[in-house]
Amino acid sequence: MLSQSVIHDVITAALATGGDFAEVFVEDRFTNNLALQGGKIESSLSGRDYGIGIRVFKGLQSVYAYTTDGSKEGLLKAAGKAAQAISGEKIIQPAQLQKEIIPAVHHISLNPREVEKLRKVDVMKKAYEIAKNYHSSIQQVTVRYLDEEQNVLIANSEGKFVEDRRVRSRLAIQSIAAKGNQMQPGFYGPGAHKGFEFMENLNLEHYANEASRIAVTMLGADPCPSGKFPVIIDNEFGGVIFHEACGHGLEATSVAKENSVFANRIGEKVASDVVTYIDDGTIANEWGSITIDDEGEKARKNVLIENGILKGYLIDKFGGRRMGMESTGSGRRQSYRFAPTSRMTNTYIANGKSTPEEIVSNTEYGIYTKYMGGGQVNTTTGDYNFAVMEAYLVKDGKIGKPLKGATLIGNGPKTLQLVDMVGNNLDHGAGMCGSQSGSIPVNVGQPMIRVSEMTVGGTKGGE
Amino acid sequence: MNLHEFKEKLFTLGEQHGFTDMELYYEREEKFACELFKGEIDSYDTSEVFGTSFRGLYEGRMGYAFTEKLDEESLSFLIENAKENSQFIEDEVQEEIFAGSKKYEAGSYYSSSLAEVTIAEKINLLKEIEKHIYAYDERVTGTDYFMLRSGETERVLLNSKGLSLSEKNNHAGIYVSVIVKQGDQVKNGEYSKFTRDFSIFNPEEIARHAVEEALSQLDARSAESKNYPVLLRNDAAGALLQTYIPVFSAENTQKGQSALKGKTGESIAVASLNIVDDPFLEEGLLSSNFDSEGVATARKDIVKDGRLITLMHNCKTAQKDGVESTGNAYKASYKGALTVAPTNLYVNPSDQSYDELVSSLSEGIIITELSGLHSGANTVSGDFSIAANGYYVKDGKVQNAVNQMTIAGNFYELLNNIEAIGSDLEFSLGFMATGYIGSPSLLIRELAVTVE
Repeated sequence: MLSQSVIHDVITAALATGGDFAEVFVEDRFTNNLALQGGKIESSLSGRDYGIGIRVFKGLQSVYAYTTDGSKEGLLKAAGKAAQAISGEKIIQPAQLQKEIIPAVHHISLNPREVEKLRKVDVMKKAYEIAKNYHSSIQQVTVRYLDEEQNVLIANSEGKFVEDRRVRSRLAIQSIAAKGNQMQPGFYGPGAHKGFEFMENLNLEHYANEASRIAVTMLGADPCPSGKFPVIIDNEFGGVIFHEACGHGLEATSVAKENSVFANRIGEKVASDVVTYIDDGTIANEWGSITIDDEGEKARKNVLIENGILKGYLIDKFGGRRMGMESTGSGRRQSYRFAPTSRMTNTYIANGKSTPEEIVSNTEYGIYTKYMGGGQVNTTTGDYNFAVMEAYLVKDGKIGKPLKGATLIGNGPKTLQLVDMVGNNLDHGAGMCGSQSGSIPVNVGQPMIRVSEMTVGGTKGGE
Repeated sequence: MNLHEFKEKLFTLGEQHGFTDMELYYEREEKFACELFKGEIDSYDTSEVFGTSFRGLYEGRMGYAFTEKLDEESLSFLIENAKENSQFIEDEVQEEIFAGSKKYEAGSYYSSSLAEVTIAEKINLLKEIEKHIYAYDERVTGTDYFMLRSGETERVLLNSKGLSLSEKNNHAGIYVSVIVKQGDQVKNGEYSKFTRDFSIFNPEEIARHAVEEALSQLDARSAESKNYPVLLRNDAAGALLQTYIPVFSAENTQKGQSALKGKTGESIAVASLNIVDDPFLEEGLLSSNFDSEGVATARKDIVKDGRLITLMHNCKTAQKDGVESTGNAYKASYKGALTVAPTNLYVNPSDQSYDELVSSLSEGIIITELSGLHSGANTVSGDFSIAANGYYVKDGKVQNAVNQMTIAGNFYELLNNIEAIGSDLEFSLGFMATGYIGSPSLLIRELAVTVE
């Protein structure tokens, strides 16, 4: 993408004013985005992103400059702009760049760039037909298709020089069911760190039917009661609750400045004994997986909480400086337009011992949430909220009628203590996570779990 | 390769490949951002980027592609991909390359005095604000984020029908989130402000706003979960409005994703509600003389005296509905497909102050902050159930902050349940906004409130 000698010169220029570390990130990304609405392809967009980010550290100061101008002059200009922010004398010489070959962990068999768009359109149309024909009340179906090939080159003043190719594919199906003035959406968006083989092997029947089933079910749902209830959260995308309630609070971004409720608590009991929480970027071909992070560190499996005890954080290079700790391979960014920061990959609660049947039958009265929407957290206070896409009332140990309009709110550290049952059916769901370094693909996951008490905000008054 | 050279080569190649009408859209952006933490520069970002998108009619269908590299390889990349992409488009109404409006306003949204503010002056402003933050109250322990951003954008639209438009704008903004601690309670308070006039940034005022906001959240108590009259403070009202603005887009009514389909001319809200989209607002962040298709922008009433006057349109949605474009074609950047979005859109203020609205409440809840809007608000059904922070009011006086809450209701019903509109119009730029949205405080007759 760029020659070692140009990169060496750029790193040297970036260090001219006293920086103690410099890094170059080059990105060349090809994307295809197609949208189908009402059975017809409505838009088909292809693009090429290309840019370079240059980062310089001096102590606890971080400077970032980026540009789309990949000429040597353009890069030296950007390096000069970054160096300008630091005022001093040159203190280090960059080390000789050493090309590192990292074996591909996530095997790609069909590069989407080499697949005719017509085949992509076929997949979308099939998904549309299945979702549309699910039920007569399905009024509208939108199918989105996304693939991307991101080529990156990462080099730094410590001599690192590594390249990586990341290929991802995702299909998102949204169904809208309507009756009279009522409209309800249902959604499913499977994705993987895979090429077009992902689409060819995808169980379209399952995903498209589920999107429509959720919409139709919610159309006939009762308003959700509000109050404090035991809440059963099903597996897969249900893990979004711990992504918000605890994952973000374990990122160096908030821990390093001691702004997180989890700061300085390694070794302490922060969750109930049944909770083991893991971030693992190495799971083969999962949506949130990486071979190397965006600072060139190899992906790894990081145990964050083990049987309730806080074991570690998610750390990037710069956050690690303030914390006096090593990177955990967690430096990620959306693109060259963002300096990397500590982020999650595939984060999940490990399997427990209960079966889903035991969890439900042990719950006298509460709420069962089958599919979650998105959520948000304030990492300073630990307060989180998230929307429930599909929920049911649980009565006398049985799942009862569907409920709509449920929102769960609470405090991360408190909720972690209140998890009283963990199932044995771990699964992962694909999502996008937005934070300081942009929007990145992540997996959330868990087996079915039960929280003994959560605040449920519904449209129907308290019970 | 420079832009004009690239355009000439691209259009020639396009013609050879059988494209009839073609457009090249170009954006160049320079940005600066700086974050301070306890007197030190914590992060410092500077960037200069550009990119182009190509749109062209091939066999009567519009194809799209974009690139950030203006080289020979990109010429064929754009043409080949746009050609392939055009083949699948099945919409009955096709986009067109726009030949141009008769007249364009000549407003300028570029401040040369803002462009002259140096980086050192910007950093000094942050240092001043930070001093005031820590000096204001001993319970301040730090900042969660504390940042200044400034940017400059140039847009150029060139097409084969002879249209050539360009425009530049700039802005600067401050974002502050202050953390306060009292005993084992930790709270934060935020403040953000954007402008084109750097001199309005008053360090003492900004610090006071953010710290007061954080302090006011301390000693939160519970309250009964029930239906209350709810005063959505201007920032919370703006955030809710921002979330539901897409329902005013013709694109969404045509897709069956907005309940305002066929409601043009009808009453959809209380008679006191007026919503305006004004692209010529001097301080507006999205002020512009032409939209993303090159159509001249125009000031318009969206809702007047509670009646829906018009939906927002681009050329394609207008053609489908048999009306004229309202100049609301929007591209998030050269990377995005063409869609519909407001420019500077706001609810008209009344003459009732925020304090008057508070004192009119015998019992109620003030909402100062909403979170999780991206997931808790259903723009299709209008239903929302979202996390909120705020205060409990009794006998016209604020009694205490309330523990985390949810408020639930329906946006379309809310429009008819507005009891009073404040005078305190304020704009904010949320992270999910496609538009610069403003609102005064809104008093809502009743919403379901659940307290943690």
